[in-house]
Amino acid sequence: MRILINSACVIALATTFLTPAIAAEKVTIATDATFPPFESIDSDGKLIGFDIELMEAICKEAELDCNIIGAAWDGMFPSLIEGKYDALISQLTVTDKRRQVVAFSDIYDHPTFRFAAKKGAGITISPEGVSGKIIAVQTGTPMDAYVTAHLPTATIKRYDSGSAPFLDLANGRADLVLGYQAQIVHSFLQKDDGKDFELTGPEMTGKDAKEFGEGVAIAIGKKNTKLVEDVNRGLAKVRDNGTLKTLMTKYFGE
Amino acid sequence: MNWNVIAENAPLYLAGTKLTLLLAFTSLAASFLLALPLAFLRNSAHPGIRYSVSTYTLLFRGTPLLVQLFLIYFGLAQFGLIRETFIWPWLSSPLVCVLLTFILNTTAYSTEIFAGALRSIPVGELEAARAYGLSRFKQATRILVPAMLTRSLPLYGNEMIMMLHATSLASTVTLMETTGVARRITLDNYIQFEPYVTAAGIYLTITFVIVSAFQIVQRRFAGYLEPRST
Repeated sequence: MRILINSACVIALATTFLTPAIAAEKVTIATDATFPPFESIDSDGKLIGFDIELMEAICKEAELDCNIIGAAWDGMFPSLIEGKYDALISQLTVTDKRRQVVAFSDIYDHPTFRFAAKKGAGITISPEGVSGKIIAVQTGTPMDAYVTAHLPTATIKRYDSGSAPFLDLANGRADLVLGYQAQIVHSFLQKDDGKDFELTGPEMTGKDAKEFGEGVAIAIGKKNTKLVEDVNRGLAKVRDNGTLKTLMTKYFGE
Repeated sequence: MNWNVIAENAPLYLAGTKLTLLLAFTSLAASFLLALPLAFLRNSAHPGIRYSVSTYTLLFRGTPLLVQLFLIYFGLAQFGLIRETFIWPWLSSPLVCVLLTFILNTTAYSTEIFAGALRSIPVGELEAARAYGLSRFKQATRILVPAMLTRSLPLYGNEMIMMLHATSLASTVTLMETTGVARRITLDNYIQFEPYVTAAGIYLTITFVIVSAFQIVQRRFAGYLEPRST
């Protein structure tokens, strides 16, 4: 009898503790919130931006219970590979090198990359033109890869966050910043700090240099094929029902 | 494990280690020279002098080094006025900002270490110096400074090690010292263990050299303070 009661208790306990764990399949998605207008933190500490709203819409359509969290850029990919996060959304460009270590959803945007410089600085974007100039970029980004490979004559300053390069451009420590055009325009040029600065050099995409990748997508753990499918399903719906377009217009006026 | 990446980036680590050593030893050398007189001023009979030094050490010991670095590097740059003065060409250099912050910070700690040691010198040693008719300057250079330094050795050795490790913050303002190199390799290759373990090994080696040097110095100069077994 006692054994029976004991085992009944064990089963009861097991069901209480195990059931919610199985039901709540929370998907943890990390973002580097130093990258307005794509992802940043507002004054209340809430994550905001294009990528955040897009991810929320995808999760809703795919019926995923998502938890989007801010994370430090330098730990994001390793933590995804180790399984601490299930996915990353942070304007991540799809490159061969990244494909070796993570899986990607379908591509949701094709960003344009530009340089920003002081108005009338007259810097030609070429190995000769940038010789001796200081270019500020975020470490480990396509921008970093591009200037490292194509403009080695410049002094390249690498920063941990997406916003710090603009601080040093604004105060004169750097001559050029390479960034996403939308990032430069909406989070710098339109602000007070950026009023003396302008876009410069050619508009570049993945077609111009392989460092800029095929487009941007959501990165997902390599073994997690189910999540890739779910996210792609959600993304397709978001595209079809016009949410993606609405978000583009809201953030970039395109 | 992907140790090939580390081997390929050995030149980066070498450059990073050089910068780490430059930052640590420049800061320590400058702060040593500054802290010696400041330790005396910290114990000055004049309250105005005493309190200005203790306010400085409180400010720099009471705030995190990273916050100080960001205030000096990014914070000061925010003021257009400063950018127009003659100091801007200096402040615009990350190396100058980092060294300035490190020196101000470690001088505050060293000053307190030395000042504390100064207070712990037995009165008898000073009385003996007076009895020999030494001038106040000679009392300081011949008796007080050596006695203060030997008594500070264990604590000061610690401060040197802390300063060495604190140089890892320099990469947050674009100086690629050892930690910055490790972070860059992490970001380029999506591995974390190998780059940081290599960085840890480099710090450990430098620390080991400092600790060994201190043990030798301690035995040579502070041996008389050790309890003696007869």
